[in-house]
Amino acid sequence: MALGDAWKQLSWFYYQYLLVTALYMLEPWERTIFNSLLVTVAAMAIYTGYVFMPQHIMAILHYFEVVQ
Amino acid sequence: MTQNSASKLLNGDTLHRAKQDKKAGGNGFVKNHCLFQQQQKRYRRPAEKSHHASLYKKPFVESFEETPLLVAVLTYMGYGILTIFGYLRDFLRDWKFEKCHLAREREEQKDFVPLYQDFENFYTRNLYMRIRDNWNRPIRSVPGAKMDLVERATPDYNWTFEHTGKVLKDVINMGSYNYLGFAENTGTCADAASECTVKYGMGVCSTRQELGNLDKHEELEKLTARFLGVESSMVFGMGFATNSMNIPALMGKGCLILSDELNHASLVLGARLSGATIRVYKHNNMQSLEKLLRDALIHGQPRTHRPWKKILILVEGIYSMEGSIVRLPEIIALKKKYKAYLYLDEAHSIGALGPRGRGVVDYFGLDPCDVDIMMGTFTKSFGAAGGYIGGKKELVDYLRLHSHSAVYATSMSPPITQQIITSMKCIMGEDGTTLGQERLRQLSENTTYFRKRLHEMGFIIYGNNDSPVVPLMLYMPAKIGAFGREMLKRNIGTVVVGFPATPIIESRARFCVSAAHTREMLDTALNAISEVGDLLQLKYSRKNRHGSEGTDCFSFLESHQD
Repeated sequence: MALGDAWKQLSWFYYQYLLVTALYMLEPWERTIFNSLLVTVAAMAIYTGYVFMPQHIMAILHYFEVVQ
Repeated sequence: MTQNSASKLLNGDTLHRAKQDKKAGGNGFVKNHCLFQQQQKRYRRPAEKSHHASLYKKPFVESFEETPLLVAVLTYMGYGILTIFGYLRDFLRDWKFEKCHLAREREEQKDFVPLYQDFENFYTRNLYMRIRDNWNRPIRSVPGAKMDLVERATPDYNWTFEHTGKVLKDVINMGSYNYLGFAENTGTCADAASECTVKYGMGVCSTRQELGNLDKHEELEKLTARFLGVESSMVFGMGFATNSMNIPALMGKGCLILSDELNHASLVLGARLSGATIRVYKHNNMQSLEKLLRDALIHGQPRTHRPWKKILILVEGIYSMEGSIVRLPEIIALKKKYKAYLYLDEAHSIGALGPRGRGVVDYFGLDPCDVDIMMGTFTKSFGAAGGYIGGKKELVDYLRLHSHSAVYATSMSPPITQQIITSMKCIMGEDGTTLGQERLRQLSENTTYFRKRLHEMGFIIYGNNDSPVVPLMLYMPAKIGAFGREMLKRNIGTVVVGFPATPIIESRARFCVSAAHTREMLDTALNAISEVGDLLQLKYSRKNRHGSEGTDCFSFLESHQD
């Protein structure tokens, strides 16, 4: 039951995303291109964050002299 | 001009003034004789009732709520994404990766001057075509309160359509301009029209001036003049042609036309064809109009500074894209003060406004003699086709001889003439029943109910509270297509409008309330609209919502009004 509700809710959010970005009007292959681009860019951003976040946090703490 | 002489009109009455400001203007020229002073505080449109309440007998409440900022940004983003994909598709079509469905020149003509403007049709090719199934839907019954639609399917994303053979029955019609419900195939109007067809046939086969003047036309003209309260009137076969062919007959070079920003294409075409100078004032904004009138009288024609031969103010009774009603009492006060002529196009308001159904003049309780040229169409409230012009006898006699429409266009067909005669008599109450009065009352009740319910639900509705045209804002391009299709799934036919009929971000769905709609039909329609509004998240309004404080993400963002 909960899974069915969650699926419906996700489905509704996906529909809103399609409406707001105007992907609703595009053909399926155009949607695939746009979604792949978006997912690629988001994945790259998350990966960069994952790799560099410890260094950035150490640098900030060092700047505020919380840690040597 | 001194203060005292400016404050009196030529007939000796004095005028009230909003403020007494005695500052001198740029060239030592005193600027304080305006009828309607500029407001010191800046707001885009006066949303509440007019500050000149003495001219209006009842409250004039119009509202045009501002676009929420988040919605505007997302709409531009949506159009940006569509534009990028449009370029991509054009590239693929150009390099033959994809089949091109458009008109193209033949190979042998490639080196000639191009016949088809490719870039200008960018919007049509790439945005309109994708949601084209919402327009031009074939109807296979009379477009009354309910109608039958032919179902269509498209195998190649709206480039071509096929009829599936199925018929969608009893679709509630919220899009036809059927204000008084005269679009019907049973009843006295239909019977009278069929008798007339049996007697006169269908076609007239001539122009009005040659051999196409039937006694039915004369009868209709006398009846129209009586209906409007003017001396004389003339009828034409087509409403668009009435405007575009008669304004050139009245105006010429050396004349000035002051037309509202949002005037209909027929008025704009007529004004351009006439060769007069056209100046545009902000929509329904009396300060802007007054400024233009004063500039015209003071400076005259552009280079020679001679006085203008004639000044004509072009307005409409109800503006069909905004649902706003013209501020007629103020315009008549301005026109009397500055000696201009007034051309009132009552295409949507005749039969739909006013306690006796005589249009916007009746709605404000004014004298029809004050409007110089009253024009209107028979398409909307009378269930027929055609247009009329009413006014003084000399004016109408002049138009009979000099109008292109009278000289060259075929005159009105006899059964249509009979339909108008019967329906007009019904509205006036001369056919012995109270059907006309009931329909007028039903229309105004339906309008008030519909607008109130939509406003309570939280949609942004434009326009005056009394106008039967109700535009509901959609804004985002994908929601235009989604709204039309979802409403059709729930068996309600609506008209959605986008660019270029409206500004690019302000796309809307336009409902036309009719006297033929019963309360149940309106309730069904309203429930469906509310459902679709929740599904598509269309309830953008931030005023007067029943207890919904922070339920959507638009409430914590400022609108870009102040």
